[in-house]
Amino acid sequence: MNLDARQLGQWIERRLSAAPASAAVPGRRPVTVVILVALIACAGAVPLLTSAYVMQLATDILTFAALAYSWNIISGCAGYLSFGQVSFFGIGAYATSVLVLRSGLPWYLAAPIASAFSGVVAALLGTVMLRLRGIMFALGMLGLARILVVVASDWDYIGAAGGLTLPAQLTPVAVYVAMWVTVIAAFALNYFVLQSGWGLSVTGVRDDEVAASAIGVPTARIKTVAFIMSALAPAAVGGLVAWNRSFLDPPSAFDPTLDLQVIVFALFGGIGTLWGPALGTVILVLVGEQFWAYLPDLQLALYGVLVIAVVLAFPGGIVGIANRFGWLRRRPVLAPAAFPVVSRPPHPAPPGNEIIIEVRDLTVRFGGLVALNGVSLAVRRGEMVSIIGANGAGKTTLFNAITGFVKPSAGGVFYQGKSVSDIPSYERARQGIARTFQIPRLMDSITVWENTLLAARYGKRADAAVDQAAWALHTVKLDGLWLEPTTKLSPGQQRRLEMARALALDPTVILLDEVMAGMTRNEQDEIRAVLRHFREFGVAAVAGVEHVISAIADISDRMIVLDRGGKIAEGVPEAVLRDPLVIESYLGKVS
Amino acid sequence: MVAGFGDLTILHDVSLDVAVGKVTVLLGANGAGKTTLFRAITGLLPPRAGRIALFGEPIAGRAPHLIARAGIGHVPSGRELFPRMPVGVHLDLGARLCPPELRATLRERVLGLFPEIAERLNQYAGTLSGGEQQMVAIARALMTNPRVLLLDEPSAGLAPKVVLSVFQALAKLQDQGMSVLLAEQSMTFGLSVASRAYIIREGRIVLSGTPAELAAERSVVQAYLGA
Amino acid sequence: MIVLQLVVNGVLLGGTYILLAQGLNLVFGVMGIVNLAHGAIITLAGLFTYWFATQTHQSPLLLIPAVFIAMLAIGAVLQRLLLEPLAKLGGKGELLNLMVTFGLSYVIVETALNFFGSQYVSLPDLQTTWPVGGLAFNEALVAAGAFGALISGCLHIWLHYTASGQALLATSQNPTGAVTCGIDVRRMRGIAFALGTALAATAGVLLILILPLSAPTADTLTILSFVIVALGGLGDYRGAVMAALLLGLVQSAVGYYLGGDVEVVVPYLLLITFMVVRPQGLGQATR
Repeated sequence: MNLDARQLGQWIERRLSAAPASAAVPGRRPVTVVILVALIACAGAVPLLTSAYVMQLATDILTFAALAYSWNIISGCAGYLSFGQVSFFGIGAYATSVLVLRSGLPWYLAAPIASAFSGVVAALLGTVMLRLRGIMFALGMLGLARILVVVASDWDYIGAAGGLTLPAQLTPVAVYVAMWVTVIAAFALNYFVLQSGWGLSVTGVRDDEVAASAIGVPTARIKTVAFIMSALAPAAVGGLVAWNRSFLDPPSAFDPTLDLQVIVFALFGGIGTLWGPALGTVILVLVGEQFWAYLPDLQLALYGVLVIAVVLAFPGGIVGIANRFGWLRRRPVLAPAAFPVVSRPPHPAPPGNEIIIEVRDLTVRFGGLVALNGVSLAVRRGEMVSIIGANGAGKTTLFNAITGFVKPSAGGVFYQGKSVSDIPSYERARQGIARTFQIPRLMDSITVWENTLLAARYGKRADAAVDQAAWALHTVKLDGLWLEPTTKLSPGQQRRLEMARALALDPTVILLDEVMAGMTRNEQDEIRAVLRHFREFGVAAVAGVEHVISAIADISDRMIVLDRGGKIAEGVPEAVLRDPLVIESYLGKVS
Repeated sequence: MVAGFGDLTILHDVSLDVAVGKVTVLLGANGAGKTTLFRAITGLLPPRAGRIALFGEPIAGRAPHLIARAGIGHVPSGRELFPRMPVGVHLDLGARLCPPELRATLRERVLGLFPEIAERLNQYAGTLSGGEQQMVAIARALMTNPRVLLLDEPSAGLAPKVVLSVFQALAKLQDQGMSVLLAEQSMTFGLSVASRAYIIREGRIVLSGTPAELAAERSVVQAYLGA
Repeated sequence: MIVLQLVVNGVLLGGTYILLAQGLNLVFGVMGIVNLAHGAIITLAGLFTYWFATQTHQSPLLLIPAVFIAMLAIGAVLQRLLLEPLAKLGGKGELLNLMVTFGLSYVIVETALNFFGSQYVSLPDLQTTWPVGGLAFNEALVAAGAFGALISGCLHIWLHYTASGQALLATSQNPTGAVTCGIDVRRMRGIAFALGTALAATAGVLLILILPLSAPTADTLTILSFVIVALGGLGDYRGAVMAALLLGLVQSAVGYYLGGDVEVVVPYLLLITFMVVRPQGLGQATR
């Protein structure tokens, strides 16, 4: 091996160009899986056959891997950075101890029960904590761990500040095997979150919560479930570690440095990836084992340095680097080997032209500002309605009120004859009110295909969802780009992907906010072509347009004009565009 | 001043000149590229290609605060005031770029232009009405003693009566010989003060001429509305 | 009388808290990030002061100017190396910023542990109590409260009445507006972090006179400061003063009536309570 720098460079370039441009990775062959499992099984067996030292080292690795995988779910996959996951570790440690000491349960029952208990606690906590974002959540979790230390120190039943002494009951082998079970469970949860249709919802929450609820994702529930998932393994680990040490007191149960180590390991391996937490933990624990002998007191400080260095130098971690060479890539969820052949819509268009959306006397106030003032309108099945009006006329507010993102101050929205006032936005989306945004809001860490599939999933079996997503992408002519990341799309393609996502909901009406804004002439034509199809599918379109009126006028059945929150005209486009009131609203008084 | 851009995603080969001592207006709809162009000129969004010159001196690619120091006064869309600072301090902050010996005279002139804000120097900018905020934004930019003033949609969100008073101030500025580049959605207001107008659509200049030439042509309305 | 005494103690404690929080507030105001190493810097400065005072038998107050200037420089370097690279990411960099300062806090805390050990220490200086009209004024509390008021006053005057201070305040209220005035926003970020660091360190020097400190108190101080900043309205300097006084009063009352254990968790409880009551965020000022 004496490659010079140039050869190395060429090799890297070859690797980069050999890697497929898209995230297209064929399904993993069964042989690979078998080899992988065999390798891990062999590695797992080694400590059983060698020294106690190796056994302890392996147990450490497993402990941290389980914690790192759990942290990865809430902070990596769902995007809620937690500095207090040790709370669940401590809760599990105490719950297990109490169950064994006071109720006499065997540890192999106590640990799973403690784990379930921790999940319940997470569910309750989640309803409060997950309403916070960013720094608030991060510090809230840190504070929670501190409160728990104080509570545990004052609670005599669990030993207060003096702690609990636990009888040595577990053999190292038992702990080792139990840790393996925990790690595999935590890995399985990660696999489920990262590689299943359901898991796409979690990614949706991380990338854009508003957009996610607009395509039918119940974000509050998804976050809570992710939070629960991230609380299970730490509790089991906590119980096992406490028994292994035969002692438990508040500072060791809620040791904040545990979170630092877990974050370092996950970050080093790659946050939000399937293999990152395992790689990071194995490498850093093994390297550290050699290293700490020389610098016994600086371990945590160096971990701090490592966190900073990784964030600044390679925030994607090892997996991020490997990805650039085409290795360890995440497979697109439920992606068939080739884009499915689409011949016709998944179901025939429902007949009839009944009213599907009715807005009655809708008024929206923000403080003193009246954004919408007593607007009424109705849209029939398969109709194409354009709503024109200048910036600030109230178009976006109207769409937000219909889709449930803004609460009306007065008046109501009726969908298929029923009021939707009390229905949350994700549920309105599932019932068939789809929307797009003024500036496309896509999930940037998943592919075009998965963006669409996420919207198509609700209420369908996997194969039906795949058909629906394929049809939606085919309709907007993005089939060729289905495995690209959304960041590679042009503005026009991004807008069409939003339309595909809306279509994937199998909607009866799609509200398109500023559908032509910022589009070139060609892009406008492509969008017009898609809009023309809607009628065939029985989908009504309500397009908000500010200025590019000609691009929408000839395909609209009806045009509604908003001006400063009120409706000033409605009718067929030719008549509306000649209305002096409308001309004045647009151009000012023409003298 | 010549501004040329090539191969931007939002702007395509835009070229325009701002004449010394005149108001040049850039008319266009929302999303047509007006604000992007202004952000390119002021360095907030450096252009990918092309040339921007101020009195012959190239300024493209410089840091935005250096472009401000070079003499481009910017009244951004949305005004971008400091909500919890008094109006007077806004003027002081602008005056940082003005030679000390000129500050007093300039302040007097600016306050003469906007008597409404002269009475409110101690009031927080966040508590002013929209029209007053717009005037503060213009006054702040004028206090930098700019060689050219960029005004991004000063009429946005204001009642017509208020817009009128803002535009009256603009007309006075022109009388004082200030070079202005004005971005505007409203043709009526825009053409009323300009000596030359450009119409921008989809990031391209589609028409240009004097207000008289443009007002006479029906194609202007169509170009504007995107017909 | 006891109530009045508690009020006095609360106000004096609040004066110290103002000092703790303003550094964090300044950094948040200008850079939009929460510096999780804030408490670590306070603690490090406090422990260093203890070491200095016990070694040299000098008054710890002598250290303030030197610490302030040294930490200005250190803060400026840290900002340039660790945080400026993330500044271009804007809002997307929030989590990365948090992780970097989280890492930094551990570097500082663990280094402090190695040098100063983990035992709680506090300086026996200024333990006199002055009786005034039946009330007891603890000398250390008065000194810290007075310094808190003095430094906050200086900061206030600097921010509002000097050209450089106004430039910083303008940047914190509206960076785009600041650019149009020719203000170098990048430089302001550096100044804000340098100043935030120096203020935190100054607070640490004074805090060691009142509270026992040890390396692990760092997180508590970060949270305490954050609670004050959040209660006052993120980035709002006057609001933070009110919040600091409020917290001082509440803590002094809780400490007397419910005991020291509960006093310690007051900030956390306030944090969580306000999260439940105002889940959209704590302050009124939004960025």
